[in-house]
Amino acid sequence: MERVRIGVEASEIIDFDAPFFLFPVRHHSPVCSYHLKSVIKRYRPEIILIEGPENANDLIPVLTDERTSLPAAIYYYYKDKKKYISDDAQDYKCYYPFLYSSPEYNAIKAAKELGIKAEFIDLPYSEILINTAKGRGLLENEKRTIADDTKLAKGDFYKALCDKTGIRDFDEFWEKYFEISGLFESDEEFLAALHTYCLISRRQTSTEEMTADATLAREEYMAANISEALKVHKKVLVVTGGFHSYGLYERLKRGGEFKKKKLHIVPADCTGCFPAAYSYEAADAMKGYSSGMRAPFFYDSVYRKLEESAEPDGVYDDLTLEFLIKGAKACKERDIAVSIADVTAAETMKGGLAALRGIRESGLYELFDAVTSTFIKGEKNLSSSVPVELVSKLLTGDGVGHIGDSSHTPPLIADFEAQCTALGLRADTAVPQEVDAALFTTKKGLPLSRFMHRMKFLETGFAKRLKGPDLTSGRDRNRVREIWKYRRSPAVDSALIDHTTDGFTIEEACINLAAKRLLGERRAESAAVITVDCFLMGISVDDDLSLVTNILASDGDFFSVGTALYYFQMLYDLQGIYRYQGVNIVSQINTAFSKLISALPTLSDIPDEQADGVIRIMRQMYDLTGGILTSRRDELFNSLITLTSAGKKHPAVYGCAMGLLYAFDAKYQHNAELAMQGYLNGALSVKKQGADYLRGLFTAARDIVFSDNDFLRMTDKLITNMDSDDFMEILPSLRLAFAAFTPREIQHTAAAVAELYDMENESILDKKAVDEGLFIFGRALDDEIMKAIEGGA
Amino acid sequence: MENYIKPPVEKRYADELELLKVTDDGRKPENWQLSPPAVRKFILGGEVRTKDGSVTIKRKFYGNDALVERAIITLAGSRGLMLVGEPGTAKTMLSELLSAACCGCSTNTVQGTAGTTEDMIKYSWNYALLLSKGPCREALVPSPLLIGMEKGIFARFEEITRTPAEIQDSLISVMSDQILSIPELGDDGLVLARPGFNIIGTANTRDKGVNEMSGALKRRFNFETVEPVKDVRLEKEIIIHEAEDLAKSGHIDMPVDTDVAELLAVTYHELREGRTANGTIVEKPAAVMSTAEAVSVYFQALSHAWYYGQRRIDLSVLAQSLLGAVCKESKDDLEKLKGYFKTVSKEKTGEGELWKEYVSASKLLR
Repeated sequence: MERVRIGVEASEIIDFDAPFFLFPVRHHSPVCSYHLKSVIKRYRPEIILIEGPENANDLIPVLTDERTSLPAAIYYYYKDKKKYISDDAQDYKCYYPFLYSSPEYNAIKAAKELGIKAEFIDLPYSEILINTAKGRGLLENEKRTIADDTKLAKGDFYKALCDKTGIRDFDEFWEKYFEISGLFESDEEFLAALHTYCLISRRQTSTEEMTADATLAREEYMAANISEALKVHKKVLVVTGGFHSYGLYERLKRGGEFKKKKLHIVPADCTGCFPAAYSYEAADAMKGYSSGMRAPFFYDSVYRKLEESAEPDGVYDDLTLEFLIKGAKACKERDIAVSIADVTAAETMKGGLAALRGIRESGLYELFDAVTSTFIKGEKNLSSSVPVELVSKLLTGDGVGHIGDSSHTPPLIADFEAQCTALGLRADTAVPQEVDAALFTTKKGLPLSRFMHRMKFLETGFAKRLKGPDLTSGRDRNRVREIWKYRRSPAVDSALIDHTTDGFTIEEACINLAAKRLLGERRAESAAVITVDCFLMGISVDDDLSLVTNILASDGDFFSVGTALYYFQMLYDLQGIYRYQGVNIVSQINTAFSKLISALPTLSDIPDEQADGVIRIMRQMYDLTGGILTSRRDELFNSLITLTSAGKKHPAVYGCAMGLLYAFDAKYQHNAELAMQGYLNGALSVKKQGADYLRGLFTAARDIVFSDNDFLRMTDKLITNMDSDDFMEILPSLRLAFAAFTPREIQHTAAAVAELYDMENESILDKKAVDEGLFIFGRALDDEIMKAIEGGA
Repeated sequence: MENYIKPPVEKRYADELELLKVTDDGRKPENWQLSPPAVRKFILGGEVRTKDGSVTIKRKFYGNDALVERAIITLAGSRGLMLVGEPGTAKTMLSELLSAACCGCSTNTVQGTAGTTEDMIKYSWNYALLLSKGPCREALVPSPLLIGMEKGIFARFEEITRTPAEIQDSLISVMSDQILSIPELGDDGLVLARPGFNIIGTANTRDKGVNEMSGALKRRFNFETVEPVKDVRLEKEIIIHEAEDLAKSGHIDMPVDTDVAELLAVTYHELREGRTANGTIVEKPAAVMSTAEAVSVYFQALSHAWYYGQRRIDLSVLAQSLLGAVCKESKDDLEKLKGYFKTVSKEKTGEGELWKEYVSASKLLR
């Protein structure tokens, strides 16, 4: 490391008399902010230029507004409707977070204090994306922050250093050699070391890589902006990620005329940015979007402490001790025994480790090591590591920032607040509230319900339904009120901001999101659930029905389409009462019906476990032909005839088909009886199938039992011709066969059975009913006897 | 150095320790032979600059460097060090290295067993002298703990959790007050610990027949969990280094076959993780698949090649040795081992002749 820190090449860049001064930073680094502050004082720039998409320049004052508290971020979005990036025409979004320790924030703040301008100089967000190759840079999956330092942690150089010095990762390396040591160095020493490190990292990055992730395009643009500023100002301070410093230096040193890149024309509604509250948790490199530093609250606290102290001595030691004590308290709250002695031992440990590792003060890694060694009692595993987790949580921080200037409120949040006001919901408190929506009896009921369902659909965490009809699961459908619990937490705002690319109003966002989900859906059942969601939200998606029609057409799963049909039928039944004026549900029902009817004849022979599903769908289809699909009765009838004429048939499905045919035309009773006779006259295994046949038959047409007593006689014959074991085997099916009968029908059947055996109704009862008075007396007597026994003991 | 099966660490690495001692300019805790940075260098390796040039100190413990650093700092403080983890993760070796580096003595050890008594931990008597002279210092037989307290060196307590919990607890008063009372000696019976005294315990978390430690005793230790080596390359390196050392002390003049060492490292790694490099799930054996076991398997095959073979490791002997090491606790492990070879026979045979030969040798497993 010592050799690296000589920084011969890098020191060329550090010239306090030069017209421009390139200040390299690692995002959110306190030591960078610490030296930046000093450099600003010494260099006295006329303007400060900062790496960051230039289309956010008008938001700079919002960040330094007195009412704004950090963490905050600039949220950028871009809708690739013009397909500059790819034919997929996707939407893109990302954050540029600011913490108190961020050098960029401190640069803006210092500019405000000095009364000079601060400007972002990078390519607009859309242009960075357009210049990035597929799957690289900001187009990498999950990469959602502009402030990206990952290049500094790449390459063999730091890994070799880590191997040699026993350092575990880049962050530990950075803390040891820059974050802590840097506080005790002069600006020149620190900057030389940082420039050198960044230069080595840069030399290990290929030109191909820098082209692919738009680094070179961005640097070209930034250099052009710096050059323009140099025409107006005598002293220009440039604050960029350390990786860019040397690239910019080379360009500026080369001189010449900079030609500013011609930007693509992007419609105004397709790109934009606005300030957003951010959280420490999202800013954590370990948990957020893989950039910045880990433990952001810890480093933010370091910077605050540095600002309070005259000298940097003791800042890290004091702060790590503070977090150690807080960690011990957090453990106690979780009933984990951590004593004062443990804290003392941990303090000794972290100090000792710092000395052993040659670090001036104990930092984050010494703190973690101390907690690991002294707070964990026993083998380190998932459950015993809770103290480390708790300390880690404290170091990450749970704070959420606030944007003071409301003139830049994101459109979705503005819409959310307006709707809350209109519906009388409390959006000004984080205390949980409850609200009652009478769906069909008050004017506000349905709009309120729809708003809550929309917020739920957007997964904002704002609303949770406590009670009310659940149309997806079919539970509590008789309820006419919904009770919602809601709370506006900072996470709600973050979630809403995240949906900006979906739309500028909540309704628009829901429509677009539902359409996106439908587009990605392959199963009719899931598509129908999305349709139910849209129904509840009162929105209309897929107006031309192409999406759902395509899904229904391509889904080869009979049961998935059958379930979809169930949902569509339910929505049809409810659309009047819910005053839903969305898509034409009848058309969807028709499409699903067509799909099912063509598949039905092929389902005569299916596995046992699928029989009930087929029967349910067959019945549903029959019900529909009695109502909205009357015109399709013949199709179903013919389909059933084809099914019953198949060679191999599942008895229950066969029974159901016969029942439905009987329901269409009573003359099919004879066919149904013949089929049953066939089972009765067969071998024992065939005979047993008779019970399943009856189950299917009675599910579809139980009144067939009462037309005459033929089926009862056949059932009787089925039962009486079996021995006990065989009877037990078919009993479940028989029970199911009669399960749908109403009590009155059961009584009627019992009377018919008694008549069959020339007996009275009463006489076939297994046991005689006990007189109620006698029962009460008997129970009272029992109680008395028990009391006497217990008392006697 | 005289030839022993396993010379103590301070003898085995006497040269390195001496070199570190003379070049050590760091601050030392009282009674320590080396400063903490020098102890670190002794265990984790590094360069020592002498007037004749730079000398390399060999790395002796592989894996978690931060753990070693924490262990050193713990031992310089008032708490004991408890090394816990699966068998074969080099806990004992680390404990010996730390003792040798800090105190110059790694043999002051209590071996914990189910039969360990309080006498063995504190002190006992030479009964002949006791009868003839009565309770006096001459008749006292000091335990390693007592020796450690009096000399200001570490006492090592191996397999502490094999000892019944009530016996383990006899350490509590010593660790709290740094005093051991011998009432039989009257006024002379109070032994105060000298600076430099500390206890290193080891305990394994997987074997049967271990006793839980009391909370009171746990509070007096800092715990360090020694994990199995997760990196195949590192495991291969360990096998090579250890096998070389064993070969040297066994006068086996044969170079270590690094390809075979890699083969074995991969086998142990994949069986321990339950997954091959290609991501295929394989059943984990019940037996402990430690690096120490892998070294032992390799050395067995090496010895066989030296004494019976043509100075070339026979992979069928390696497979047989592997069988002996894996199939100890359960008959099912044989099937798991066979299953593993069946899987790799499809995946690895494209990786060279050696794997083909190895897989072919595994057909002899039964």
